[in-house]
Amino acid sequence: MDVQYEFANKFRDQILRCSSCGFCRAICPLFGLTKRPALNARGKMLVLKEVMDGSIDLNDELVETLFQCTTCAGCAELCPSGVNVPDIIKQVRKDMVFLDSCHPVFKGMNKLLQEHTNIYGEDEPEDFERERNTPAEYVFFIGCVGSYREDEPTMATLDLLDHFRVDYTLIDEVCCSGVLEDVGYEINKNLAQKNIDLILATGAKTVITGCPFCSRTFNNKTQYDRLKQEKIKIIHISQLLKDFDPGVKTDKLVTYHDPCDLGRHCGIYEEPREIIRKIAPNFVEMRHNRANALCCGAGGGVRGAFAKNSIGMARRRLEEVEEIQAEVLLTECNSCLHNLDNAKLRAQKFKIYTTSQFINQLIESDR
Amino acid sequence: METSIKERLKEIVGPENYTDDLIDLIAYSKDATEHKHRPEAAVWPLDVNQVSKILMLANEKLFPVVPRGAGTSLAGLPVPERGGLILDMARMDKILNISIEDRLAVVQPGVVYQDLERALAPDDFCFPPDPASGAVCTLGGNVATNAGGIKGAKYGTTKDYVLALEVVLPDGRILHTGSQCMKTSSGYDLTKLFVGSEGTLGVITEITLKINPRPPLVTTSMATFDDLEDAGRAISEIMYSGILPSALEIVDQQSLKAINQNTDMNLPEVEALLVAETDGYTQEEVEFQMAKITKIFKKNNAATVRRAENEEEAAALWTARKTAYGVTARINNTLFVEDLAVPMSKVPDILRTISDLAKKYDLKIPTVGHAGDGNIHPVISFDGTSRSEVERVEKATKDLFEKVIELGGTLTGEHGIGLAKAPFMRMEHDDVAMDVMLSMKRLFDPNNILNPGKMGLEL
Ligand SMILES: Cc1cc2nc3c(=O)[nH]c(=O)nc-3n(C[C@H](O)[C@H](O)[C@H](O)COP(=O)(O)OP(=O)(O)OC[C@H]3O[C@@H](n4cnc5c(N)ncnc54)[C@H](O)[C@@H]3O)c2cc1C
Ligand code: SF4
Ligand code: SF4
Repeated sequence: MDVQYEFANKFRDQILRCSSCGFCRAICPLFGLTKRPALNARGKMLVLKEVMDGSIDLNDELVETLFQCTTCAGCAELCPSGVNVPDIIKQVRKDMVFLDSCHPVFKGMNKLLQEHTNIYGEDEPEDFERERNTPAEYVFFIGCVGSYREDEPTMATLDLLDHFRVDYTLIDEVCCSGVLEDVGYEINKNLAQKNIDLILATGAKTVITGCPFCSRTFNNKTQYDRLKQEKIKIIHISQLLKDFDPGVKTDKLVTYHDPCDLGRHCGIYEEPREIIRKIAPNFVEMRHNRANALCCGAGGGVRGAFAKNSIGMARRRLEEVEEIQAEVLLTECNSCLHNLDNAKLRAQKFKIYTTSQFINQLIESDR
Repeated sequence: METSIKERLKEIVGPENYTDDLIDLIAYSKDATEHKHRPEAAVWPLDVNQVSKILMLANEKLFPVVPRGAGTSLAGLPVPERGGLILDMARMDKILNISIEDRLAVVQPGVVYQDLERALAPDDFCFPPDPASGAVCTLGGNVATNAGGIKGAKYGTTKDYVLALEVVLPDGRILHTGSQCMKTSSGYDLTKLFVGSEGTLGVITEITLKINPRPPLVTTSMATFDDLEDAGRAISEIMYSGILPSALEIVDQQSLKAINQNTDMNLPEVEALLVAETDGYTQEEVEFQMAKITKIFKKNNAATVRRAENEEEAAALWTARKTAYGVTARINNTLFVEDLAVPMSKVPDILRTISDLAKKYDLKIPTVGHAGDGNIHPVISFDGTSRSEVERVEKATKDLFEKVIELGGTLTGEHGIGLAKAPFMRMEHDDVAMDVMLSMKRLFDPNNILNPGKMGLEL
């Protein structure tokens, strides 16, 4: 049969290489929650094999599995055959969008970002009482979740940057729109251009992002190549903080959730732990950590499109916090924080913060 | 499958535990082999009564029912070759009881091997078979295939640990076999009958396993041999030397070459590499055993012998063995993980045969194995889209199993017969044995509803 889809052109060999060993069951957050083999990487690859050999069409019937993937890359990390499922899934989604087979929530998200500047379609961002668009050494890029849903952790992070006397400015940022690439669309060029212009206008040589996903988007997507050409460095806040000594400590039992976007996708596992160890001598790992960390369930558009399962996945992650009886769960991603916090049951007494938020709290209570 | 049957199934398990969505049917159409067939529906039963009602319905309406664990089978065992219903046991995943006093664990069949290991670890106990798929395979699947692993030579396989079972028979009756005692001579051993029965006689809904204390100390060593026969002699000598290594694994030259081509590990491309592990409760005990092993390695002309001084070094010595599967899986688009066992003294003969067949049929067949119990895994990685290559693989496989039987070996050491080896059953089992097996299948499952088409048991 003629190769009809772009995903097959690009990934045929990898998809065929999936030996159906089923090892991805061990880590796939969707499988772990639902025990439904159709949703894990093997199920997805089997469906794609049938699409490639012409047994079935790429159509709406497949949306439930092909659009229900957090692109966490847990499977890719342990796959003996080296199948990179998130890359494959992102391309498949583009093919499906092309055929007008797409989860309505994702379609809506694309439309929203054509009309608005952020994924929530809200036009009044939190002010954060900081300078904007001024010359500075660093730009601090907050990200949509930090701007519109998790403003407390963002405020705390900004306070912490002030405490460490970091010379930064905010900008009138718009959504980096990287998420569109994950859900079958392209990065919105207008939004990208706006961010690039605003960053360059400040003269800053480094952008610090509060969100690891924004950091990935700026670093890896061609629409943001201009930043590279201008030698602008993009780092996540955890990469900056590791060089500071907060000078405060907690005796609480603390654990850390590796966001997929920072850990598996960028290989940043140690910097966040370096900082946490400085402030929390009682640091303890969850059962799944680092490259093996369990996804919180928010990524790849799943929180929007499959909300119930997204929360269910977060609950499973929180069970691991309970298992080690940690009192504080830290993470480095507002999106993880948001999902985990929404999933937390009243009976669960531990607290969830971003690392900078927690450090700032320790500093404030020390005063 | 008629709509009325589907409706009844939904009533039995609840709509959230029933599916006939295309994506589910595709996901259930395969295991870890190339065998493939879609079921018509699937259910996730939650308790024994639901299983019983489903089997009663199937027996009345005559549709096939195929129990399924994690679908990691390497011989087509859970592939619903004749359609029908998949009984996915994954939601019956509770550890019901762990009694260290009685040295047993009672589990539902959907419990994942590793989850039981984790639950036993705080008491320093374990369920020893240790299949390489332990992170995902289910205990129900382990029992139904009589799974084994690298610890086989010293600790045996699943069958040595199953004390009792709850099984739903094809007519819906619930059978309790065995006892919670460490030993029993009471009546026929019905428990063992279901171990390795590949879901063809009944659906296992509860398992009582004997558990073992885990020896806290291990030592590891690795030896390389320029000559396969030397390695073979070393294996035999170790196994009759009076000590039992907790693992004795072999990696052949083809595997070492494949690993070197695909990694930067730079392993010596010798004819055979052996990894041995001894375990025990005192340093003296493990050292004593290991000293004997390294002496035998040297006596049999090992080119190099390395002892691990600590855990990291031990892990390093294991890497060749443990990466072999992953490396082979990446070589080409289709993978056959074969499984056979021969009497221990015949390990070098079978390894020679495999390497000759690879040459004869122009194939790559890297081979690893549990040398300590004669269980060998030739892994054939090939281009499944090339008809001629597929044919060569099929011919090589047939030749291989003829040789295995000639050497007094068996078609499968731990993966089972399923679809992959069904055509060879009569090579190993004579007419009387096949007749008795067929009678047993008829006795339990006269309508042939449970996992039909497997094990060469055609009714
Ligand atoms: C990479 C890899 C490595 C492997 N390594 C090993 C190894 O080291 N040792 C080893 O022994 N195997 C190994 N296997 C094979 C496989 O993991 C085992 O056969 C395992 O026991 C299958 O368990 P499962 O839960 O996946 O069962 P499935 O594959 O789903 O089913 C296997 C059989 O069990 C039956 N079954 C499952 N549950 C029940 C039940 N509750 N009642 C009745 N019948 C049931 C099914 O009908 C089927 O016939 C490996 C597989 C892979 C892919
Ligand atoms: S782990 Fe990799 S090869 Fe195995 S089933 Fe999953 S995607 Fe396929
Ligand atoms: S990327 Fe994550 S969610 Fe998607 S199939 Fe792999 S493990 Fe599952």
